[in-house]
Amino acid sequence: MRLRRSMLFVPGSSAASLSTAFVFKPDSVMFDLEDAVSLREKDAARLLVFHALQQPLYDGIERVVRINPLDTPFGHDDLQAAIRGGADTIRLPKTDTPEQVRELEAAVERIERDCGREVGSTHLMAAIESASGVVNALAIAQASPRITGIALAGFDYVMDMQTQRGDGTELFYARCAVLHAARAAKIDCYDVVFSDLDDEEGFLKEVDLIKRLGFNGKSLINPRQIELLHNAYAPTQEEMDYARRVVAAAEKAEKQGLGVIAMGGKMIDGPVVDNARRVLDRAAASGLRKE
Amino acid sequence: MLLKQEALAGTLESSDLFIRITPSDDPLEIVIESEVLHQFGKQIRATVEEVLDHLGVTTGTLIIQDKGALDCTIRARVQAAVMRAAGETTLDWEALK
Amino acid sequence: MEDLDFYTVEPDHEDAERREIKKLLGACDLLYEQGIETFVVCRDRDRLVACAGLQQNVIKGVAILPEYRGTALSLTLVSEITYLAHSHGYATLFVYTEPKNAEFFRGCGFYDLVEMPDTVVLMENTPIGIKSYCKQLQKHRVEGEKIGCVVANANPFTYGHRYLVEQAAKACDWLHLFMVREDVSLFSYQDRYYLAEENILGIPNLTLHPGSQYMVSRATFSCYFLKDQGIVGKCHTAVDLLMFRNHIAPALGITHRFVGTEPFCPTTNKYNSDMMVWLQDEVRGSGPAIKVVEIPRTEFNGTAISASEVRRHLYEGDLDSIRNLVPPATFELLKTKYVALVAQQG
Repeated sequence: MRLRRSMLFVPGSSAASLSTAFVFKPDSVMFDLEDAVSLREKDAARLLVFHALQQPLYDGIERVVRINPLDTPFGHDDLQAAIRGGADTIRLPKTDTPEQVRELEAAVERIERDCGREVGSTHLMAAIESASGVVNALAIAQASPRITGIALAGFDYVMDMQTQRGDGTELFYARCAVLHAARAAKIDCYDVVFSDLDDEEGFLKEVDLIKRLGFNGKSLINPRQIELLHNAYAPTQEEMDYARRVVAAAEKAEKQGLGVIAMGGKMIDGPVVDNARRVLDRAAASGLRKE
Repeated sequence: MLLKQEALAGTLESSDLFIRITPSDDPLEIVIESEVLHQFGKQIRATVEEVLDHLGVTTGTLIIQDKGALDCTIRARVQAAVMRAAGETTLDWEALK
Repeated sequence: MEDLDFYTVEPDHEDAERREIKKLLGACDLLYEQGIETFVVCRDRDRLVACAGLQQNVIKGVAILPEYRGTALSLTLVSEITYLAHSHGYATLFVYTEPKNAEFFRGCGFYDLVEMPDTVVLMENTPIGIKSYCKQLQKHRVEGEKIGCVVANANPFTYGHRYLVEQAAKACDWLHLFMVREDVSLFSYQDRYYLAEENILGIPNLTLHPGSQYMVSRATFSCYFLKDQGIVGKCHTAVDLLMFRNHIAPALGITHRFVGTEPFCPTTNKYNSDMMVWLQDEVRGSGPAIKVVEIPRTEFNGTAISASEVRRHLYEGDLDSIRNLVPPATFELLKTKYVALVAQQG
């Protein structure tokens, strides 16, 4: 199980960001070849990302590359750079339909074969940025076995909905819809970027909300938010103690070859155990929650 | 690869390097300016020469202003500069490693 | 990561942006100069926080709000303006700055060319520009006790130029003649160079050089080309002359610079008198003195021959009066090309 609490956006055209982003220890880095890169720098950013991917600096961090859409002049070259560079995951922006995912999947497979990379080793992630994307979320989430997550992108979505970012009401349906699609497809789900870099209180409020909704985490542009986010996702002592007891009970049941897990006389279901393991993973990654 | 026009790549920002590549008929001339020239000058030059060799660039002038770039950044920037100078848009990925 | 946005502004076509740039320059104690074609500006959300202008290949009007100085912003600003200039076809960029601000530009990839002590520094954004230029020049070096130099625009080449070059060549072991490269005169650089080639035939101890951006150019001497606007007083003729003294003259071993006396043009006259100061006098940090030799203009019918006189006749369609002022090669080109050209201009 991979933790996906934080996905840090790193502009693919910035050598400085590419050389330093690993120090913030996000769960995933997303090297961006799309919106963060000007037209002039598309070619150069692709090469920077291609080489940065091969650096050992990012070992232990999921390396995601956001490519330009495949119907732009850049998308296919971006894909070459990402797959040949060794990206773990390709993030497809502006995903409106499952066909786009299947087109991407076919292109990925071709490149994997060309460069001798194990077929299927490149994961996909779809960003949903429009009303059609939200409506098609489940089909998108299930479009390919390579898909490990979907992400909601708020900026384009609210424009498509003819509204603007506000207190979160404007995202309510989209968040719920995308999240349900992800859970039904058994994949991860990322929430939108919180763009006011100075509003720490607002950020924490939003994190609290999306955590309670059930998101795995958020996309981020500000590395300073990573620690806050990880801390918010870290378990309390109580949660941790409970999770330990659940996992211990599950291990005991497995050792004894029992089909049923019991704790204090009560039966425990598989999802409870999975949840407990996630709690322990989060604790292992960033300790107990600091208030 | 044949250089057809002068090209730039990179920036003067920290951890980056700025390259100006100019076509000429003379053998390669590589000028490197770096705050860490004393320590890393040889290494930077070796990387630049290796990349140029892979791309088959044998003539022209490169001026490099290094701001403490990592090896991977140097490779990317030199390749970008050469592609731009050659007016080449399709990349031969095997030559870029 | 800051939320900074860099983009290009054409001040002549974007009034609101221009007003903001003026305000920013004002806040940094700088004047807004006319003639800047493009600016790269930086906005932090709604606020204009930095700008740098470009007039052809010269950077002007660089301002950064105090709280943004010393950050990566300046490096991005200079990188962006370098790309902008490149897209306009300019490779090397120049900047004039007060000595106290030179360090800032050194940090942005600029290298000192010359300093007019306590006043201004001219810099270029390549470590090898002037060096490789001088290396090229050195190939034409001729050793001798007295090595002379004439720098001429020759718009067009007259008997006056021929006389000056002949006299100078006679007075030296070797003479280097440079043609001003900047293409802002009636006669194109190509034609001026061709006429020089034709009209120096028979002078044995002379090398004709193409001009460069390092002498009497927009970069070294931008105001010269605006002389009709009468702003020469503000110009840094010193920068051009010190460039010559510190870089060009040593490369060729030049000991003497020859000029014709200037009875008509106040700009050229001022340049000549500035030459006495900046080439001959002791200047802090500068190379050995170059002796300036003024040669009186040759006359025809009691009037000094000048290129401006020739152009006046040409505009009046008075070819007969020109015949006695210019060598045959010049006359031929005037007749076959420039009469029609001038007529076209109306």
